[in-house]
Amino acid sequence: MPPKGGFKKKAPSDGAATPLTPTLAAQLSYLHQPRPFKNPNYTKNINRRAKNLKTVLGQEREREKTEREARRLEREELAKTDPQAASNIPEEVPTYTTIEAPPSVIPHKHLCDITGLEAPYTDPTTGLRYHDKSVYEIVKGLSASVAKDYLSARGVNSIVK
Amino acid sequence: MEENTPQTIFRLPTTYLPTLPPTAEPYSKHRSHHTPIVIDNGSTSIRWGFGTSATPYTSPNAVAKYKERKTNKPLLLFGEAIDSESGVRAQAKTPWEGDVLLNFDALENALDYAFIQLGIDTPSVDHPVLMTERLCSPLHSRALTSELMFELYNVPSLTYCIDGIMSFYQNHLPPPKQPFASNGLVISFNTASTSIIPILRGKGLLSQAKRIPWGPSQSSEYLLKLIQLKYPNFPTRVTTIQTNWMLHNFCQVATDFPALLRELRDPLKLRASEVIVQFPFTLPVTEEKTEEEVAKIAEKRKEQGKKLQEMAAKMMVEKLLQKETDLQYLTNLKETKATENKREWVSKLQAEGLSDEAALDETIKKLDADLKKARKKEAGEADEGQEEPTFPLVDIPDADLDEESLKEKKKQKLLKAGFEARARARREKEREKEEREREEKKEEEEREEDLGGWARKLRQEQEALMAKIKERSKRKAALTDRKSAAAQARMKNIASLAADDRVPKAKKRKGGGEDMFGADDADWAIYRKIYTAAPSSDEEEDLVQLQVIEQKLLAHDPTFTNKHTHASIASQRSALMSAFRPSYEEGDIEGNTRIHLNTERWRVCEAYFSPGMAGVDSAGLAEVIQNLVPSFIESRSRTTPLDFPDDRAELIQNVFLTGSASRMPGVEARLHATLQSLLPPGSPINVMRAEDPTLDAWKGMAAFTRTEEFRNVGVTKAEYEEYGGERVRRWWGGNWNGEFSREVGDAMQVDEPQQPAKAPNFDDLWGK
Repeated sequence: MPPKGGFKKKAPSDGAATPLTPTLAAQLSYLHQPRPFKNPNYTKNINRRAKNLKTVLGQEREREKTEREARRLEREELAKTDPQAASNIPEEVPTYTTIEAPPSVIPHKHLCDITGLEAPYTDPTTGLRYHDKSVYEIVKGLSASVAKDYLSARGVNSIVK
Repeated sequence: MEENTPQTIFRLPTTYLPTLPPTAEPYSKHRSHHTPIVIDNGSTSIRWGFGTSATPYTSPNAVAKYKERKTNKPLLLFGEAIDSESGVRAQAKTPWEGDVLLNFDALENALDYAFIQLGIDTPSVDHPVLMTERLCSPLHSRALTSELMFELYNVPSLTYCIDGIMSFYQNHLPPPKQPFASNGLVISFNTASTSIIPILRGKGLLSQAKRIPWGPSQSSEYLLKLIQLKYPNFPTRVTTIQTNWMLHNFCQVATDFPALLRELRDPLKLRASEVIVQFPFTLPVTEEKTEEEVAKIAEKRKEQGKKLQEMAAKMMVEKLLQKETDLQYLTNLKETKATENKREWVSKLQAEGLSDEAALDETIKKLDADLKKARKKEAGEADEGQEEPTFPLVDIPDADLDEESLKEKKKQKLLKAGFEARARARREKEREKEEREREEKKEEEEREEDLGGWARKLRQEQEALMAKIKERSKRKAALTDRKSAAAQARMKNIASLAADDRVPKAKKRKGGGEDMFGADDADWAIYRKIYTAAPSSDEEEDLVQLQVIEQKLLAHDPTFTNKHTHASIASQRSALMSAFRPSYEEGDIEGNTRIHLNTERWRVCEAYFSPGMAGVDSAGLAEVIQNLVPSFIESRSRTTPLDFPDDRAELIQNVFLTGSASRMPGVEARLHATLQSLLPPGSPINVMRAEDPTLDAWKGMAAFTRTEEFRNVGVTKAEYEEYGGERVRRWWGGNWNGEFSREVGDAMQVDEPQQPAKAPNFDDLWGK
């Protein structure tokens, strides 16, 4: 930090300055501990480090696409001369994006948005699922914004009618 | 709150200040011995140590740069030290962003801390490093980690492995000198995701691995959301640290979730299943006063009141005296009129601030009245016997009056009207009062004669009013729906009001084409009907009337209790709702800082099996395993026969759980039941949790560094410089993505010692 105003007064010392005991946090800090093992000539690439999650995953996806394309070409090339060798080239290398579990296709029981119990009914106005009429009383009394919050807990973001 | 079986109430844990870390162990043992360093870089905790140690150092994987307030000194705190001062946590950063290693400044700080703790004092970290990375880690993360390791710390070689596989290895350690060849399905519970990794003949089969984007961090967030919805007005802020604690201590996986929900339908069972979390609260300080003090204060107040009264009385007497002297003076003045010269007299008047004789008379009259009133008051007489004012001019025809008198007559007319109106109102009031009394008397008689009949009648009235109120609220609710009959009728009314031909043509002709709206007072009711926003005054009236009736019933009908009043009926909650979220009295501060967890305890963990219920569109654990079955059970396979059918069957029958979150109670039983339903009947199913789900990955890695094989799977500094930070060598415990291309890999493997004996067609296996 650049020095602020050169003529800042120092705290008045009354001679009997209390010896400062470092706080626990100060004792735990390792900021000034020696790190001889670090390479002093290393400079970090700030731009490379500053990438956010979205770009990283986007890049990953892009790379995967091009690699798959390259493999396909290679296989086709090889198939012309040596069909045996072509089958040895692996089809797919699992990457961060490909190992993601697929969307669920099993139907799941609907749960009451308020209580978490089984919900055989759905309120047509809010779209909230509810367990029985006593819960419906509550659902009816919910304001639109609260109903929206309940829905968003289930990942449903309502469309403005 | 109703009486109930006393439940254990859990208090939030008290936080302890972190202690100073142990001093670094002597480095001399490892200096220039190339002892491998093992780092399990998890997103919650980082564990590190030399491969020769039995247990690692463990610390939360977070770092905070902080400026101390008192000394203004910058601090760098790692792990538990973050909790040493409040306010630091808000600035803590972790190397991980959810599931991806992304923040390399934080990673650098973490690694610095780790190496400092290991006591390394040489100009470089001259140890081969074995480090975990995420299953199929994005290459960006790997590239930057390698860059740090090779360029900043100058490690001689670096190997990446997958934590889940290494934990499995630790729990299935092969006999010395033999290759690792166990089969099993690893379910690795990471912080922000859960991975399923099949291990066939000791090799991670990553082509079949899957990652479910659900983990404890999502569970904890989901729990927080549910709590916020259940307690929207909770007095204190609930933090994720607290929900984490609740998740770890009170949440579990249900073996049969639908059956559990059916059971919890019963309010009593729901109540029995609950866990109460008491948040800290402060009772408002009420000053306790002794009787003596209260009496003293009352005495003091009384005295003050007396003093004030005395003062007021004194003032009044003074004023009265003043007025009396004034009156005396003015009357004297009036009397002098006869004796004195007129001009002098008028100037005297003007000196007193009076314009003429009339004004003087008026003033005198006023003063006189005031004095009389005051005297009467003094005498304790009522104010009422006011003499009736006379209006002599009113009855005289205008023609007989001069201009002055006409003005006066106008004034008197007005005064008379006012006076008469007041008198009328008074009479009206009296009549009403009499009527009321009469009615009350009649009612009392009726009540005394036939209490049952009276009560019935009142109750009917009460019910009718309640029905009316209910009807109104129903209509209000119906109006919010555009398509309801009420809303449609309202629209029709509006349309007809706006229309020009509201008045029928025939009528128009008769009435000279004039709009007769409003001629009848009832016409205006239409506006009240179509105006929905404001609460109608009828509502208030009804409520007041209802209250009156209820008061009467409460007072005289012994069978009518507080329970029957409109207020309590309206606020009545069903047994289910009050079991789900028990309510406390308004002023019960202790009760209102409690969180009751019941269905949430299972609901939160159930999301591992159906993330969709928390808004994550992904297959759950059971479904992912189900999708794997055809690749591992020959009879369920739809395509070509499988290689190593026995090993494959063994793999899917042996589920291995690792990672801290695998400690969730009930998860083993649930997975056992799941597999039972998926696999052929009679399959021997074995669900096993790692001996130490938290540390076994590190221990497995450490064990691996002690084998001969470890030397062959890493990337050396020279290779890093040649091929970059993304490349790795494919081996059984590591990732496949970013592996060296075949030619390079083959070329490099030439001068490596022979791998342990392989199965004959391993290449087929690896190609899958």
